[in-house]
Amino acid sequence: MALYLHIPFCQARCSYCDFNTYVGLDHLYQPYVSALIQEGRLLAQQYSQPVGSLFLGGGTPTVLPIELLRQVLTTCFEIFVVEDSAEITSEANPGTVSLDYLQALRGLGVNRLSLGAQSFDEGELAMLERIHDVQHVGLTFERARAAGFDNLNLDLIYGLPGQTLTSWVHTLECALGLAPEHVSLYCLTLEEGTPMRDRVLAGRLPAPDPDLAADMYESAAECLASKGYRQYEISNWSLPGYECAHNLTYWRNRPYLGLGAGAHSWGVGLRWWNVRPVMAYIHRLMGARQTPWPSPAAEDGERISRLLEMGETLMLGLRLVYEGVAEADFHQRFGVSLEETYGDVIHELTGAGLLAWDQTRLCLSERGRLLGNQVFAKFLPS
Amino acid sequence: MDQSTIRNFSIIAHIDHGKSTLADRLLQATGTISERDMQEQVLDDMELEREKGVTIKASAVLMHYQARDGITYQLNLIDTPGHVDFTYEVSRALIACEGAILVVDATQGIEAQTLANLYLALEHDLEIVPVVNKIDLPSARPAEVAQEIEDLVGIDAADMLPVSAKEGTGVEALLEAIVARVPPPSGDPRAPLRALIFDSHYDAYKGVVAYVRVVDGALDTGKAIRLLATERQVEPLELGFFRPQMVPGERLLTGQVGYIATGFKTIRNVQVGDTLTLAEAVGVSPLPGYQPIKPMVFAGLYPTEGEDYTLLKDALEKLQLNDASLIYEPETSQALGFGFRAGFLGLFHMEIIQERLEREYGLEILATAPSVAYQVTTRDNRVVTIDSPAQLPDEATIESISEPWMRISIFTPATYIGPVMEMTTKRRAEFGQMEYLDEQRVRLEYLMPLSEMIVDFYDQLKSTTRGYASLDYHFDGYRQGDLVKLDVLVNNQPVDALSIIVHRDQAYYRGQRLVTRLKEAIPRQLFTVPIQAAVGKRVISRANVKALRKDVLAKCYGGDVTRKRKLLEKQKKGKRRMKMVGSVEVPQEAFMTVLKLGED
Ligand SMILES: Nc1nc2c(ncn2[C@@H]2O[C@H](COP(=O)(O)OP(=O)(O)O)[C@@H](O)[C@H]2O)c(=O)[nH]1
Ligand code: SF4
Repeated sequence: MALYLHIPFCQARCSYCDFNTYVGLDHLYQPYVSALIQEGRLLAQQYSQPVGSLFLGGGTPTVLPIELLRQVLTTCFEIFVVEDSAEITSEANPGTVSLDYLQALRGLGVNRLSLGAQSFDEGELAMLERIHDVQHVGLTFERARAAGFDNLNLDLIYGLPGQTLTSWVHTLECALGLAPEHVSLYCLTLEEGTPMRDRVLAGRLPAPDPDLAADMYESAAECLASKGYRQYEISNWSLPGYECAHNLTYWRNRPYLGLGAGAHSWGVGLRWWNVRPVMAYIHRLMGARQTPWPSPAAEDGERISRLLEMGETLMLGLRLVYEGVAEADFHQRFGVSLEETYGDVIHELTGAGLLAWDQTRLCLSERGRLLGNQVFAKFLPS
Repeated sequence: MDQSTIRNFSIIAHIDHGKSTLADRLLQATGTISERDMQEQVLDDMELEREKGVTIKASAVLMHYQARDGITYQLNLIDTPGHVDFTYEVSRALIACEGAILVVDATQGIEAQTLANLYLALEHDLEIVPVVNKIDLPSARPAEVAQEIEDLVGIDAADMLPVSAKEGTGVEALLEAIVARVPPPSGDPRAPLRALIFDSHYDAYKGVVAYVRVVDGALDTGKAIRLLATERQVEPLELGFFRPQMVPGERLLTGQVGYIATGFKTIRNVQVGDTLTLAEAVGVSPLPGYQPIKPMVFAGLYPTEGEDYTLLKDALEKLQLNDASLIYEPETSQALGFGFRAGFLGLFHMEIIQERLEREYGLEILATAPSVAYQVTTRDNRVVTIDSPAQLPDEATIESISEPWMRISIFTPATYIGPVMEMTTKRRAEFGQMEYLDEQRVRLEYLMPLSEMIVDFYDQLKSTTRGYASLDYHFDGYRQGDLVKLDVLVNNQPVDALSIIVHRDQAYYRGQRLVTRLKEAIPRQLFTVPIQAAVGKRVISRANVKALRKDVLAKCYGGDVTRKRKLLEKQKKGKRRMKMVGSVEVPQEAFMTVLKLGED
């Protein structure tokens, strides 16, 4: 089982961000952490499978004083069965963490750090309204190394308004110059309600060109391959052996438990998600003794039928570009073969050059990687 | 009942000049309707009419008025449809009368259509009772307006009655003038029955109700009747008078106006202008001037949701119950699915029908570019009339194509002569003459192809003149033109719904615009999709929808699989509404955007 802990706080909101995160709620850090711990305690009784990965996401987990993170993590170790080899990741933002902090974090058992670098272009960082500038990235990266982190990820973003292929290649080269074990490249999505989207719609920022984004993606893939990174997922590359175990759980459609405001959980035919606002979450957990099923903080959920689970397994699994979905795994899990369930779709899409299929494993073709949605949708039940 | 005490009249007025208000005053003054029952604007009873400010259907009302001479007169007010597409209906309503009240707004002066209808009334020898309305307004200039009318049509300004329909001033004098000036009907009571049908409506219980003016003879209840043009025979269920609701009576006498409930189920059987006589009568000659309905403008009507087809069918059937001038037949379009090809009297009629379908029946409909009826002469000298580009025979077999031209008259403040000239010239209009109505206003006359008028012409005229211009038009004749069929091809397949017939000089421009719009409206596919506009085999404009390169969700954060899946499901659902043009998936909305965007 994978365990996800959501920390819904940030120092400032970035212009493109629609995550469940809040600014200026410092006074709620302690009550929130207590609620989070309470939710963990209540749920740990039912979810006793060994935890193979733990992920502190946000928001920005590292805005919390280290003492609060200590409370969270030590409680988790106490109440869940966390495997010794577990991958324990925390997200962190450049420029927000000192060497001491990072050392303490490492000391708490966190063994992987994911840095939201986003760009190595000052203008782009300003447009994204990130709180850091270019030099902070290298600085924080080196500090993390000094603190003993030997598994580091850099998040980068492309397809930005006004971004050129040249500036993107520059960003990528700077990032690789730091020699991270893992990089995630995300294409910007203009999310509803974000200032960035409003600006683009109002014509104050140029609309991103999807074809240029495709070029960026392709040139990045080439560059990363030449440096020995393996693309194991549509948006993720790593040095061999450094794939993110936590995210692999998502893509393999295996169970995970999410704690915290707006967190999602999945297992045995049910997916549910918690209420999003911080206060609502805290209220749900205040004084919660026994567990209303599935969680006191649950806002809503959906039952996932077997057919839907099969579709989701393909929708997620095909994102893993080499692993894809193996016929043997699928058959073992659902008792039917890919061929008999999706034969027609598979043949249509291999015909269209979007899928590769050798009877044992189904993967996106190289072209299909950029057109994943066209493929995934076909596997979802109508 | 004495024929000499009957007075039949209409009101001729421009929209908003006060016809309805004045009619209400007449009804009140004659006690036809009590103050309490007074529902505003009795004669316009459709909600849409009120909103659009036009009278769609004629109606009639019988009033009893005791004049100063002590005699009680029977006044029949026959309402006329208020807009230009219904000229024929207006002419039938007018010839049912001996007189017409001309209402002109004292602050505005006479407008194009009013003048056209006035001429129509004069042509039929109607006695005109001119009224200058709204004299209560400070900006009223009754003397000037009266002078303008005198100069235009030779009605003595001194005969003009000053009225305020709003305040009731001058209404008494008007009633006296009607009695004194409008002659009584002159029909022969001893001749065999001849009644003119000037309107009709459908009643769920009584079938089609014919509105008639008895010209000669009389009709008693229980007598079988015959319609001369449609050759239908029936025993009416009921006859009677409009008070203003239908009140059954025993007899309709020479000169009287009333209704006959025929029991017919389709309005087609009761045509405006037809002559109604007794079934037993032989050798009765029809009243002059009957014309069968002739639609001028045609368009495909499609439900935007395919499953609404039957609803649209029902709605059209219901509308047709009351509107004999609406015709339609099923049509199938490869791009738009199942729908109907409908014919209308003109552009306003089309607009009204579309609006009623949407408003009264809650249907979302899509109309293809309107077309006129073209006359195509083939090489082997046959003439075929077509009303849709799809019906056009093969280019090689066509000798020539003719299109209907209209005689149009525009009244506008002189300041807008330039812009009006410019916009009409762009639409291939031929200038006829210009005449000053007074110092500020002119009348411009043109000949113009109807096809140039059916898209946005009126709206453009209004906006060009800041709403001041008024328009009147009539069919003039067919004329040969250099007309071609413009096809739009998606991935080398023609899209039937987008074909249009245009003048060769405009083909390039129109084609280019259609291509540009379609290019924007068609989502990128997995392969490059060429879009072309072509005249015959010759491609005159082209553009490509580039192949889709990237369509993948970046990230699946925090395990929010549900949201991600929903996005994909939405995408998939969208696809189900796609129409296939060859192997290209085109969202129906793409056709809609292209068709809905007016000419700019
Ligand atoms: N001041 C004034 N307003 C009037 C008079 N007659 C009609 N109106 C107003 O003019 C507008 C148009 O009148 P209406 O009878 O609906 O015109 P129709 O379109 O010709 O039937 C309405 O707002 C009336 O209230 C009048 O004598 N004086
Ligand atoms: S740091 Fe991340 S979570 Fe916080 S506002 Fe920026 S993008 Fe959103």
